[in-house]
Amino acid sequence: MELTTLLQQLINGLSIGSVYAIFALGYTLIFSILGIINFAHGAVFTLGAYFTYALTGARFGFNGIFAEAQLPFGLPFLLALFVGAGLAGLVGVLVERALFRPLRARGADPLLTLVSSLGIAVALVNTIQYFVGAEVYSFPSSVLQGLPPSVNFGTPEAPLVVRTVQLVIGVISLVILVVLTWFINRTKTGRALRAVAEDSTTSSLLGINTDRLILLTFFISGFVGGIAGTLVGLSVTITGPYFGIAFGLKGLAVIVLGGLGNIPGAVLGGIVIGIAENLLPSSAVAYKDAIAFAILFVVLLIRPQGLLGRTQVQKV
Amino acid sequence: MSETLLDVHKLTCRFGGLIAVNEVSFAVQRDEIFGLIGPNGAGKTTLFNLITGLTPATSGRLTYRGDDIGRLKPHQIAAKGIARTFQNIRLFGNLSAQQNVMVSQHVHTRSGVVAGVFGLPGARSEERMVREEAMQLLEMVNLADRAHVKARNFPYGDQRRLEIARALALKPQLLLLDEPGAGMNPNEKASLSAFIRDVKDKFKLTIVLIEHNVPLVMGLCDRIAVLNFGELIALGNPAAVQNDRAVIEAYLGDEP
Repeated sequence: MELTTLLQQLINGLSIGSVYAIFALGYTLIFSILGIINFAHGAVFTLGAYFTYALTGARFGFNGIFAEAQLPFGLPFLLALFVGAGLAGLVGVLVERALFRPLRARGADPLLTLVSSLGIAVALVNTIQYFVGAEVYSFPSSVLQGLPPSVNFGTPEAPLVVRTVQLVIGVISLVILVVLTWFINRTKTGRALRAVAEDSTTSSLLGINTDRLILLTFFISGFVGGIAGTLVGLSVTITGPYFGIAFGLKGLAVIVLGGLGNIPGAVLGGIVIGIAENLLPSSAVAYKDAIAFAILFVVLLIRPQGLLGRTQVQKV
Repeated sequence: MSETLLDVHKLTCRFGGLIAVNEVSFAVQRDEIFGLIGPNGAGKTTLFNLITGLTPATSGRLTYRGDDIGRLKPHQIAAKGIARTFQNIRLFGNLSAQQNVMVSQHVHTRSGVVAGVFGLPGARSEERMVREEAMQLLEMVNLADRAHVKARNFPYGDQRRLEIARALALKPQLLLLDEPGAGMNPNEKASLSAFIRDVKDKFKLTIVLIEHNVPLVMGLCDRIAVLNFGELIALGNPAAVQNDRAVIEAYLGDEP
Protein backbone atom coordinates (compact mmCIF):
# COMPACT_ATOMS: atom_id res chain seq x y z
CA MET A 1 0.00 0.00 0.00
CA GLU A 2 1.25 3.45 -0.83
CA LEU A 3 2.11 5.76 2.00
CA THR A 4 -0.56 8.31 1.14
CA THR A 5 -3.20 5.62 0.82
CA LEU A 6 -2.06 4.23 4.16
CA LEU A 7 -2.34 7.64 5.80
CA GLN A 8 -5.72 8.15 4.20
CA GLN A 9 -7.00 4.86 5.51
CA LEU A 10 -5.54 5.55 8.94
CA ILE A 11 -7.44 8.82 9.13
CA ASN A 12 -10.63 7.13 7.94
CA GLY A 13 -10.06 4.32 10.43
CA LEU A 14 -9.48 6.72 13.28
CA SER A 15 -12.58 8.60 12.33
CA ILE A 16 -14.98 5.63 12.17
CA GLY A 17 -13.11 4.05 15.08
CA SER A 18 -13.97 6.98 17.32
CA VAL A 19 -17.61 6.57 16.37
CA TYR A 20 -17.33 2.90 17.38
CA ALA A 21 -15.71 4.08 20.58
CA ILE A 22 -18.48 6.46 21.66
CA PHE A 23 -21.11 3.89 20.74
CA ALA A 24 -19.30 1.22 22.74
CA LEU A 25 -19.03 3.60 25.70
CA GLY A 26 -22.82 3.52 25.84
CA TYR A 27 -22.65 -0.23 26.44
CA THR A 28 -19.71 0.03 28.78
CA LEU A 29 -21.20 2.66 31.09
CA ILE A 30 -24.30 0.56 31.70
CA PHE A 31 -22.31 -2.64 31.96
CA SER A 32 -19.92 -1.19 34.50
CA ILE A 33 -22.79 -0.11 36.73
CA LEU A 34 -25.36 -2.88 36.31
CA GLY A 35 -23.22 -5.73 35.00
CA ILE A 36 -25.67 -6.17 32.13
CA ILE A 37 -25.35 -5.68 28.37
CA ASN A 38 -28.20 -3.46 27.24
CA PHE A 39 -29.20 -4.90 23.88
CA ALA A 40 -31.62 -2.04 23.32
CA HIS A 41 -28.57 0.18 22.76
CA GLY A 42 -28.42 -0.69 19.05
CA ALA A 43 -32.06 0.29 18.60
CA VAL A 44 -31.48 3.59 20.43
CA PHE A 45 -28.59 4.20 18.02
CA THR A 46 -31.02 3.77 15.11
CA LEU A 47 -33.57 6.05 16.73
CA GLY A 48 -30.94 8.75 17.19
CA ALA A 49 -30.24 8.69 13.47
CA TYR A 50 -33.94 8.99 12.58
CA PHE A 51 -34.50 11.77 15.13
CA THR A 52 -31.67 13.83 13.68
CA TYR A 53 -32.84 13.06 10.16
CA ALA A 54 -36.30 14.39 10.96
CA LEU A 55 -34.98 17.42 12.84
CA THR A 56 -32.91 18.58 9.89
CA GLY A 57 -36.27 18.98 8.15
CA ALA A 58 -35.72 16.12 5.73
CA ARG A 59 -38.73 14.33 4.26
CA PHE A 60 -39.64 10.72 5.14
CA GLY A 61 -40.22 8.07 2.46
CA PHE A 62 -43.27 6.44 0.99
CA ASN A 63 -44.04 3.87 3.66
CA GLY A 64 -45.18 3.89 7.25
CA ILE A 65 -47.40 6.22 9.22
CA PHE A 66 -45.07 9.14 8.61
CA ALA A 67 -45.04 8.64 4.82
CA GLU A 68 -43.89 11.83 3.12
CA ALA A 69 -44.14 13.67 6.40
CA GLN A 70 -41.74 16.47 7.17
CA LEU A 71 -41.22 18.84 10.07
CA PRO A 72 -42.33 22.39 9.30
CA PHE A 73 -38.83 23.56 10.24
CA GLY A 74 -35.29 22.35 9.74
CA LEU A 75 -32.55 22.70 12.32
CA PRO A 76 -28.93 23.19 11.31
CA PHE A 77 -27.18 19.82 11.33
CA LEU A 78 -25.11 20.31 14.48
CA LEU A 79 -28.13 21.42 16.50
CA ALA A 80 -30.28 18.61 15.09
CA LEU A 81 -27.53 16.17 16.03
CA PHE A 82 -27.54 17.18 19.69
CA VAL A 83 -31.32 17.52 20.01
CA GLY A 84 -31.72 14.13 18.30
CA ALA A 85 -29.15 12.63 20.66
CA GLY A 86 -31.00 14.18 23.61
CA LEU A 87 -34.21 12.48 22.44
CA ALA A 88 -32.33 9.19 22.10
CA GLY A 89 -31.07 9.75 25.64
CA LEU A 90 -34.68 10.12 26.81
CA VAL A 91 -35.51 6.81 25.13
CA GLY A 92 -32.64 5.33 27.13
CA VAL A 93 -34.17 6.77 30.29
CA LEU A 94 -37.52 5.28 29.34
CA VAL A 95 -35.94 1.85 28.84
CA GLU A 96 -34.43 2.07 32.33
CA ARG A 97 -37.69 3.14 33.97
CA ALA A 98 -39.91 0.71 32.10
CA LEU A 99 -37.63 -2.30 32.09
CA PHE A 100 -34.38 -2.28 34.02
CA ARG A 101 -35.53 -0.64 37.24
CA PRO A 102 -38.64 -2.78 37.81
CA LEU A 103 -36.66 -5.94 37.11
CA ARG A 104 -33.87 -4.76 39.41
CA ALA A 105 -36.32 -3.96 42.18
CA ARG A 106 -37.67 -7.50 41.95
CA GLY A 107 -34.17 -8.95 42.07
CA ALA A 108 -34.41 -10.52 38.62
CA ASP A 109 -31.56 -12.63 37.31
CA PRO A 110 -29.23 -10.58 35.06
CA LEU A 111 -29.84 -13.05 32.24
CA LEU A 112 -33.59 -12.27 32.36
CA THR A 113 -32.88 -8.56 32.15
CA LEU A 114 -30.56 -9.13 29.23
CA VAL A 115 -33.17 -11.11 27.30
CA SER A 116 -35.79 -8.47 28.11
CA SER A 117 -33.52 -5.77 26.70
CA LEU A 118 -33.29 -7.84 23.53
CA GLY A 119 -37.10 -7.82 23.51
CA ILE A 120 -37.16 -4.03 23.83
CA ALA A 121 -34.69 -3.81 20.94
CA VAL A 122 -37.00 -5.84 18.70
CA ALA A 123 -40.02 -3.81 19.80
CA LEU A 124 -38.22 -0.54 19.05
CA VAL A 125 -37.09 -1.76 15.64
CA ASN A 126 -40.66 -2.75 14.76
CA THR A 127 -42.00 0.54 16.02
CA ILE A 128 -39.55 2.39 13.80
CA GLN A 129 -40.64 0.31 10.82
CA TYR A 130 -44.29 1.02 11.63
CA PHE A 131 -43.70 4.74 11.60
CA VAL A 132 -41.12 5.33 8.89
CA GLY A 133 -41.02 2.14 6.86
CA ALA A 134 -37.99 0.07 5.98
CA GLU A 135 -36.45 2.31 3.38
CA VAL A 136 -32.89 3.49 3.16
CA TYR A 137 -32.54 7.13 4.13
CA SER A 138 -29.65 9.38 3.20
CA PHE A 139 -29.02 12.69 4.87
CA PRO A 140 -29.49 15.39 2.25
CA SER A 141 -26.11 16.62 1.07
CA SER A 142 -27.14 20.10 2.18
CA VAL A 143 -26.51 19.22 5.84
CA LEU A 144 -22.83 19.91 5.38
CA GLN A 145 -23.57 23.04 3.46
CA GLY A 146 -20.67 25.27 2.64
CA LEU A 147 -18.08 22.56 3.18
CA PRO A 148 -16.13 21.08 0.26
CA PRO A 149 -16.78 17.34 -0.28
CA SER A 150 -13.18 16.51 0.54
CA VAL A 151 -10.06 18.04 1.99
CA ASN A 152 -6.55 17.59 0.64
CA PHE A 153 -3.95 17.33 3.40
CA GLY A 154 -1.14 16.64 0.95
CA THR A 155 0.26 18.68 -1.88
CA PRO A 156 -1.26 18.91 -5.37
CA GLU A 157 1.48 16.50 -6.55
CA ALA A 158 1.06 14.03 -3.70
CA PRO A 159 -2.58 14.35 -2.67
CA LEU A 160 -3.83 13.06 0.66
CA VAL A 161 -7.55 13.45 0.18
CA VAL A 162 -10.00 12.72 2.97
CA ARG A 163 -13.77 12.96 2.71
CA THR A 164 -15.13 15.88 4.69
CA VAL A 165 -17.79 13.64 6.19
CA GLN A 166 -15.05 11.46 7.67
CA LEU A 167 -13.42 14.50 9.21
CA VAL A 168 -16.70 15.79 10.60
CA ILE A 169 -17.65 12.52 12.27
CA GLY A 170 -14.10 12.04 13.53
CA VAL A 171 -13.94 15.50 15.09
CA ILE A 172 -17.39 15.29 16.66
CA SER A 173 -16.79 11.88 18.19
CA LEU A 174 -13.34 12.85 19.45
CA VAL A 175 -14.87 15.88 21.17
CA ILE A 176 -17.54 13.66 22.74
CA LEU A 177 -14.86 11.22 23.88
CA VAL A 178 -12.85 13.97 25.53
CA VAL A 179 -15.87 15.51 27.26
CA LEU A 180 -17.08 12.13 28.49
CA THR A 181 -13.65 11.19 29.80
CA TRP A 182 -13.43 14.54 31.55
CA PHE A 183 -16.88 14.05 33.02
CA ILE A 184 -16.12 10.59 34.38
CA ASN A 185 -12.68 11.36 35.76
CA ARG A 186 -12.86 14.97 36.81
CA THR A 187 -16.36 15.84 38.02
CA LYS A 188 -18.08 14.89 41.23
CA THR A 189 -20.91 13.14 39.37
CA GLY A 190 -18.37 11.12 37.42
CA ARG A 191 -16.68 10.17 40.67
CA ALA A 192 -20.01 9.08 42.13
CA LEU A 193 -20.62 7.08 38.97
CA ARG A 194 -17.33 5.25 39.40
CA ALA A 195 -18.14 4.61 43.04
CA VAL A 196 -21.54 3.15 42.14
CA ALA A 197 -19.90 1.04 39.43
CA GLU A 198 -17.59 -0.46 42.01
CA ASP A 199 -20.05 -0.96 44.84
CA SER A 200 -23.52 0.47 44.63
CA THR A 201 -24.53 -0.63 48.14
CA THR A 202 -21.66 1.18 49.79
CA SER A 203 -22.27 4.23 47.60
CA SER A 204 -25.87 4.44 48.76
CA LEU A 205 -24.70 4.26 52.38
CA LEU A 206 -22.50 7.25 51.67
CA GLY A 207 -25.50 9.27 50.59
CA ILE A 208 -25.48 8.67 46.85
CA ASN A 209 -28.85 8.26 45.19
CA THR A 210 -27.93 5.29 43.05
CA ASP A 211 -31.22 5.11 41.13
CA ARG A 212 -30.78 8.68 39.96
CA LEU A 213 -27.22 8.01 38.84
CA ILE A 214 -28.34 4.93 36.95
CA LEU A 215 -30.98 7.03 35.22
CA LEU A 216 -28.30 9.56 34.26
CA THR A 217 -26.13 6.74 32.95
CA PHE A 218 -28.95 5.55 30.70
CA PHE A 219 -29.40 9.08 29.43
CA ILE A 220 -25.70 9.46 28.63
CA SER A 221 -25.62 6.02 27.05
CA GLY A 222 -28.63 6.82 24.84
CA PHE A 223 -27.17 10.24 24.03
CA VAL A 224 -23.82 8.91 22.79
CA GLY A 225 -25.65 6.06 21.02
CA GLY A 226 -27.82 8.62 19.24
CA ILE A 227 -24.79 10.68 18.23
CA ALA A 228 -23.08 7.57 16.88
CA GLY A 229 -26.24 6.62 14.95
CA THR A 230 -26.44 9.98 13.27
CA LEU A 231 -22.74 10.04 12.43
CA VAL A 232 -22.79 6.60 10.85
CA GLY A 233 -25.99 7.53 9.00
CA LEU A 234 -24.23 10.62 7.74
CA SER A 235 -21.15 8.70 6.68
CA VAL A 236 -23.02 5.99 4.79
CA THR A 237 -26.83 5.92 4.96
CA ILE A 238 -29.51 4.96 7.44
CA THR A 239 -30.05 1.47 6.15
CA GLY A 240 -33.47 0.94 7.71
CA PRO A 241 -34.88 -0.03 11.10
CA TYR A 242 -32.28 -2.78 11.52
CA PHE A 243 -29.53 -0.22 11.04
CA GLY A 244 -28.36 -0.43 14.63
CA ILE A 245 -28.60 -4.15 15.17
CA ALA A 246 -25.60 -5.12 13.05
CA PHE A 247 -23.76 -2.13 14.42
CA GLY A 248 -24.72 -3.22 17.90
CA LEU A 249 -22.99 -6.55 17.38
CA LYS A 250 -19.84 -4.78 16.35
CA GLY A 251 -20.15 -2.62 19.44
CA LEU A 252 -20.13 -5.79 21.50
CA ALA A 253 -16.93 -6.87 19.76
CA VAL A 254 -15.46 -3.49 20.64
CA ILE A 255 -16.21 -3.65 24.37
CA VAL A 256 -15.15 -7.26 24.72
CA LEU A 257 -11.95 -6.50 22.82
CA GLY A 258 -11.16 -3.55 25.08
CA GLY A 259 -12.16 -5.31 28.30
CA LEU A 260 -15.73 -5.45 29.59
CA GLY A 261 -16.71 -2.46 31.67
CA ASN A 262 -13.39 -0.75 31.02
CA ILE A 263 -13.81 2.79 29.68
CA PRO A 264 -10.37 3.37 28.14
CA GLY A 265 -10.68 -0.20 26.83
CA ALA A 266 -13.84 0.65 24.91
CA VAL A 267 -12.09 3.61 23.30
CA LEU A 268 -9.02 1.59 22.37
CA GLY A 269 -11.15 -1.31 21.10
CA GLY A 270 -13.19 1.03 18.89
CA ILE A 271 -10.15 2.64 17.35
CA VAL A 272 -8.35 -0.68 16.81
CA ILE A 273 -11.34 -2.16 14.99
CA GLY A 274 -11.96 1.03 13.01
CA ILE A 275 -8.38 1.18 11.76
CA ALA A 276 -8.15 -2.57 11.11
CA GLU A 277 -11.27 -2.46 8.92
CA ASN A 278 -9.90 0.42 6.89
CA LEU A 279 -6.54 -1.22 6.30
CA LEU A 280 -8.19 -4.18 4.58
CA PRO A 281 -7.45 -4.57 0.87
CA SER A 282 -10.48 -3.54 -1.16
CA SER A 283 -11.14 -7.15 -2.20
CA ALA A 284 -11.78 -8.05 1.45
CA VAL A 285 -14.02 -5.12 2.36
CA ALA A 286 -17.14 -7.24 2.10
CA TYR A 287 -15.79 -9.35 4.96
CA LYS A 288 -14.89 -6.52 7.31
CA ASP A 289 -17.39 -7.54 9.98
CA ALA A 290 -16.01 -11.07 9.96
CA ILE A 291 -12.54 -9.64 10.30
CA ALA A 292 -13.54 -7.51 13.28
CA PHE A 293 -14.73 -10.63 15.04
CA ALA A 294 -11.66 -12.59 13.96
CA ILE A 295 -9.48 -9.95 15.65
CA LEU A 296 -11.65 -10.25 18.72
CA PHE A 297 -11.27 -14.01 18.74
CA VAL A 298 -7.50 -13.94 18.42
CA VAL A 299 -7.12 -11.27 21.12
CA LEU A 300 -9.34 -13.18 23.51
CA LEU A 301 -7.27 -16.32 23.03
CA ILE A 302 -4.23 -14.41 24.21
CA ARG A 303 -5.88 -12.04 26.69
CA PRO A 304 -9.24 -13.45 27.83
CA GLN A 305 -9.85 -10.28 29.87
CA GLY A 306 -9.57 -8.05 26.78
CA LEU A 307 -6.89 -5.52 25.86
CA LEU A 308 -7.15 -3.34 28.96
CA GLY A 309 -9.37 -5.49 31.16
CA ARG A 310 -8.18 -6.71 34.52
CA THR A 311 -8.50 -10.28 35.61
CA GLN A 312 -11.63 -10.50 37.69
CA VAL A 313 -11.06 -10.30 41.40
CA GLN A 314 -13.45 -12.55 43.20
CA LYS A 315 -15.89 -10.54 45.32
CA VAL A 316 -16.32 -11.80 48.85
CA MET B 1 -31.15 14.18 81.21
CA SER B 2 -29.41 13.41 77.97
CA GLU B 3 -31.12 13.43 74.63
CA THR B 4 -32.05 10.27 72.73
CA LEU B 5 -30.41 10.26 69.32
CA LEU B 6 -31.47 6.87 68.00
CA ASP B 7 -34.46 4.98 69.29
CA VAL B 8 -34.87 1.33 68.35
CA HIS B 9 -38.31 0.08 69.28
CA LYS B 10 -39.38 -3.58 69.09
CA LEU B 11 -37.40 -3.98 65.89
CA THR B 12 -37.83 -7.34 64.18
CA CYS B 13 -36.27 -8.74 61.06
CA ARG B 14 -37.21 -12.10 59.63
CA PHE B 15 -35.52 -13.86 56.71
CA GLY B 16 -38.01 -16.57 55.82
CA GLY B 17 -38.19 -18.79 58.88
CA LEU B 18 -35.13 -17.28 60.52
CA ILE B 19 -35.63 -14.46 63.00
CA ALA B 20 -32.41 -12.49 62.74
CA VAL B 21 -33.52 -9.69 65.07
CA ASN B 22 -36.40 -10.26 67.46
CA GLU B 23 -38.25 -7.33 69.07
CA VAL B 24 -35.09 -5.52 70.05
CA SER B 25 -35.49 -2.18 71.82
CA PHE B 26 -32.88 0.25 73.06
CA ALA B 27 -32.10 3.94 72.87
CA VAL B 28 -28.74 5.48 72.08
CA GLN B 29 -28.09 8.77 73.88
CA ARG B 30 -26.32 11.63 72.21
CA ASP B 31 -22.61 11.71 72.95
CA GLU B 32 -22.22 8.15 74.22
CA ILE B 33 -20.23 5.21 72.94
CA PHE B 34 -22.68 2.37 72.77
CA GLY B 35 -21.35 -1.16 72.43
CA LEU B 36 -23.15 -3.98 70.66
CA ILE B 37 -21.80 -7.42 71.48
CA GLY B 38 -22.91 -11.01 71.16
CA PRO B 39 -21.80 -14.34 69.74
CA ASN B 40 -21.53 -14.89 65.99
CA GLY B 41 -24.91 -14.83 64.29
CA ALA B 42 -26.52 -12.88 67.13
CA GLY B 43 -27.91 -10.29 64.70
CA LYS B 44 -25.49 -7.41 65.29
CA THR B 45 -24.67 -6.67 61.67
CA THR B 46 -28.31 -7.21 60.68
CA LEU B 47 -29.18 -4.52 63.22
CA PHE B 48 -26.72 -2.17 61.50
CA ASN B 49 -28.28 -3.04 58.14
CA LEU B 50 -31.71 -2.21 59.54
CA ILE B 51 -30.59 1.13 60.96
CA THR B 52 -28.89 2.17 57.70
CA GLY B 53 -31.86 1.11 55.56
CA LEU B 54 -30.12 -1.70 53.68
CA THR B 55 -32.53 -4.30 55.02
CA PRO B 56 -36.19 -3.47 55.55
CA ALA B 57 -37.48 -4.30 59.03
CA THR B 58 -40.30 -6.81 59.29
CA SER B 59 -41.84 -4.81 62.11
CA GLY B 60 -40.91 -2.28 64.76
CA ARG B 61 -39.89 1.35 64.67
CA LEU B 62 -36.67 3.24 64.11
CA THR B 63 -36.49 6.85 65.18
CA TYR B 64 -33.51 9.14 64.61
CA ARG B 65 -33.59 12.59 66.21
CA GLY B 66 -37.35 12.29 66.50
CA ASP B 67 -37.91 11.34 62.84
CA ASP B 68 -39.16 7.93 61.74
CA ILE B 69 -36.43 6.59 59.45
CA GLY B 70 -37.90 3.11 59.02
CA ARG B 71 -39.01 3.64 55.44
CA LEU B 72 -36.16 5.78 54.17
CA LYS B 73 -33.69 4.62 51.54
CA PRO B 74 -30.03 4.15 52.50
CA HIS B 75 -28.92 7.36 50.80
CA GLN B 76 -31.59 9.37 52.62
CA ILE B 77 -30.55 7.94 55.97
CA ALA B 78 -26.92 8.73 55.17
CA ALA B 79 -27.92 12.29 54.34
CA LYS B 80 -29.62 12.56 57.73
CA GLY B 81 -26.28 11.97 59.40
CA ILE B 82 -25.80 8.25 60.00
CA ALA B 83 -22.54 6.81 58.67
CA ARG B 84 -21.08 3.34 59.01
CA THR B 85 -18.06 1.18 58.35
CA PHE B 86 -18.00 -2.51 57.50
CA GLN B 87 -16.74 -5.64 59.14
CA ASN B 88 -15.10 -6.66 55.86
CA ILE B 89 -13.81 -3.34 54.60
CA ARG B 90 -15.68 -1.99 51.58
CA LEU B 91 -13.57 0.72 50.04
CA PHE B 92 -13.72 1.67 46.38
CA GLY B 93 -10.52 -0.17 45.49
CA ASN B 94 -9.97 1.50 42.13
CA LEU B 95 -10.41 5.03 43.46
CA SER B 96 -7.60 6.83 45.24
CA ALA B 97 -7.77 7.41 48.99
CA GLN B 98 -8.72 11.02 48.39
CA GLN B 99 -11.45 10.12 45.90
CA ASN B 100 -12.88 7.59 48.35
CA VAL B 101 -13.30 10.35 50.89
CA MET B 102 -14.64 12.79 48.31
CA VAL B 103 -17.42 10.39 47.30
CA SER B 104 -19.11 10.80 50.66
CA GLN B 105 -18.89 14.58 50.48
CA HIS B 106 -21.25 14.33 47.51
CA VAL B 107 -24.37 14.99 49.61
CA HIS B 108 -22.94 18.21 50.97
CA THR B 109 -22.32 19.82 47.59
CA ARG B 110 -24.88 21.35 45.31
CA SER B 111 -23.42 21.93 41.86
CA GLY B 112 -25.11 19.82 39.18
CA VAL B 113 -24.00 17.62 36.33
CA VAL B 114 -24.03 20.36 33.72
CA ALA B 115 -21.97 22.77 35.84
CA GLY B 116 -19.46 19.97 36.39
CA VAL B 117 -19.15 19.04 32.72
CA PHE B 118 -18.58 22.60 31.62
CA GLY B 119 -16.30 23.36 34.53
CA LEU B 120 -18.35 26.36 35.65
CA PRO B 121 -16.70 28.48 38.37
CA GLY B 122 -19.15 27.39 41.08
CA ALA B 123 -18.49 23.73 40.45
CA ARG B 124 -14.75 24.31 40.25
CA SER B 125 -14.45 26.15 43.56
CA GLU B 126 -16.71 23.60 45.22
CA GLU B 127 -14.50 20.81 43.88
CA ARG B 128 -11.43 22.58 45.28
CA MET B 129 -13.05 22.94 48.68
CA VAL B 130 -14.09 19.28 48.73
CA ARG B 131 -10.57 18.25 47.80
CA GLU B 132 -9.09 20.29 50.67
CA GLU B 133 -11.54 18.91 53.19
CA ALA B 134 -10.71 15.40 52.04
CA MET B 135 -7.02 16.11 52.57
CA GLN B 136 -7.68 17.32 56.12
CA LEU B 137 -9.50 14.11 56.92
CA LEU B 138 -6.69 12.06 55.40
CA GLU B 139 -4.17 13.99 57.49
CA MET B 140 -6.13 13.13 60.59
CA VAL B 141 -5.82 9.41 59.84
CA ASN B 142 -2.19 9.80 58.72
CA LEU B 143 -2.79 8.92 55.10
CA ALA B 144 -2.33 12.34 53.52
CA ASP B 145 1.06 11.44 52.07
CA ARG B 146 -0.58 8.65 50.06
CA ALA B 147 -3.75 10.49 49.07
CA HIS B 148 -3.38 9.53 45.42
CA VAL B 149 -2.67 5.85 45.93
CA LYS B 150 -5.51 3.53 44.97
CA ALA B 151 -7.34 2.24 48.02
CA ARG B 152 -6.75 -1.41 47.19
CA ASN B 153 -3.01 -0.91 47.50
CA PHE B 154 -3.18 0.08 51.16
CA PRO B 155 -2.27 -2.34 53.93
CA TYR B 156 -5.12 -3.60 56.06
CA GLY B 157 -4.81 -1.27 59.03
CA ASP B 158 -4.62 1.76 56.76
CA GLN B 159 -7.72 0.62 54.89
CA ARG B 160 -9.60 0.54 58.20
CA ARG B 161 -8.59 4.10 58.96
CA LEU B 162 -9.38 5.22 55.43
CA GLU B 163 -12.85 3.73 55.77
CA ILE B 164 -13.39 5.73 58.95
CA ALA B 165 -12.15 8.91 57.25
CA ARG B 166 -14.60 8.26 54.43
CA ALA B 167 -17.46 7.79 56.88
CA LEU B 168 -16.51 11.04 58.64
CA ALA B 169 -16.65 12.96 55.38
CA LEU B 170 -20.39 12.43 55.47
CA LYS B 171 -20.37 14.74 58.54
CA PRO B 172 -22.44 12.30 60.56
CA GLN B 173 -23.73 12.70 64.09
CA LEU B 174 -24.04 8.97 64.52
CA LEU B 175 -21.24 6.67 63.48
CA LEU B 176 -21.76 2.91 63.33
CA LEU B 177 -18.51 0.96 63.49
CA ASP B 178 -18.75 -2.73 62.57
CA GLU B 179 -15.81 -4.51 64.22
CA PRO B 180 -13.25 -1.77 63.72
CA GLY B 181 -10.59 -3.93 65.40
CA ALA B 182 -11.11 -7.01 63.24
CA GLY B 183 -7.86 -8.29 61.80
CA MET B 184 -5.74 -5.79 63.71
CA ASN B 185 -2.68 -6.86 65.66
CA PRO B 186 -2.52 -6.18 69.45
CA ASN B 187 -0.52 -2.98 68.93
CA GLU B 188 -3.01 -1.59 66.45
CA LYS B 189 -5.88 -2.60 68.71
CA ALA B 190 -4.34 -0.76 71.63
CA SER B 191 -4.16 2.47 69.69
CA LEU B 192 -7.64 1.94 68.25
CA SER B 193 -9.38 2.89 71.53
CA ALA B 194 -7.54 6.17 71.71
CA PHE B 195 -8.24 6.81 68.04
CA ILE B 196 -11.98 6.22 68.42
CA ARG B 197 -12.18 8.51 71.47
CA ASP B 198 -10.20 11.13 69.64
CA VAL B 199 -12.46 11.01 66.59
CA LYS B 200 -15.54 11.10 68.79
CA ASP B 201 -14.42 14.26 70.58
CA LYS B 202 -13.16 16.01 67.48
CA PHE B 203 -16.35 15.42 65.48
CA LYS B 204 -18.82 15.49 68.40
CA LEU B 205 -20.02 12.03 67.45
CA THR B 206 -22.22 9.44 69.01
CA ILE B 207 -20.82 6.00 68.30
CA VAL B 208 -22.40 2.57 68.13
CA LEU B 209 -19.75 -0.10 68.00
CA ILE B 210 -19.85 -3.82 67.23
CA GLU B 211 -16.78 -5.53 68.61
CA HIS B 212 -15.69 -8.98 69.72
CA ASN B 213 -12.63 -7.89 71.61
CA VAL B 214 -13.90 -7.78 75.21
CA PRO B 215 -11.21 -5.59 76.80
CA LEU B 216 -11.64 -3.04 73.99
CA VAL B 217 -15.41 -2.89 74.43
CA MET B 218 -15.28 -2.78 78.23
CA GLY B 219 -12.72 -0.01 78.25
CA LEU B 220 -14.34 2.09 75.56
CA CYS B 221 -18.10 1.88 75.87
CA ASP B 222 -20.39 3.82 78.19
CA ARG B 223 -23.15 1.27 77.80
CA ILE B 224 -23.35 -2.13 76.20
CA ALA B 225 -26.21 -4.10 74.67
CA VAL B 226 -25.81 -7.87 74.39
CA LEU B 227 -27.59 -9.79 71.64
CA ASN B 228 -28.00 -13.54 71.44
CA PHE B 229 -29.97 -15.32 68.70
CA GLY B 230 -31.52 -12.02 67.70
CA GLU B 231 -32.72 -11.11 71.17
CA LEU B 232 -31.52 -8.44 73.52
CA ILE B 233 -30.41 -10.30 76.66
CA ALA B 234 -28.69 -7.53 78.60
CA LEU B 235 -28.24 -3.76 78.51
CA GLY B 236 -26.25 -1.62 80.90
CA ASN B 237 -22.84 -0.32 81.84
CA PRO B 238 -19.82 -2.56 81.20
CA ALA B 239 -19.47 -3.83 84.79
CA ALA B 240 -23.13 -4.80 85.06
CA VAL B 241 -23.13 -6.56 81.70
CA GLN B 242 -19.95 -8.43 82.51
CA ASN B 243 -21.53 -9.98 85.60
CA ASP B 244 -24.91 -10.65 84.01
CA ARG B 245 -25.85 -14.32 84.24
CA ALA B 246 -27.55 -14.48 80.84
CA VAL B 247 -24.50 -12.96 79.21
CA ILE B 248 -22.13 -15.43 80.83
CA GLU B 249 -24.33 -18.29 79.68
CA ALA B 250 -24.54 -16.97 76.15
CA TYR B 251 -20.79 -16.72 75.89
CA LEU B 252 -19.70 -19.78 77.87
CA GLY B 253 -22.66 -22.08 77.39
CA ASP B 254 -25.01 -23.05 80.22
CA GLU B 255 -23.44 -26.36 81.14
CA PRO B 256 -21.89 -26.34 84.61
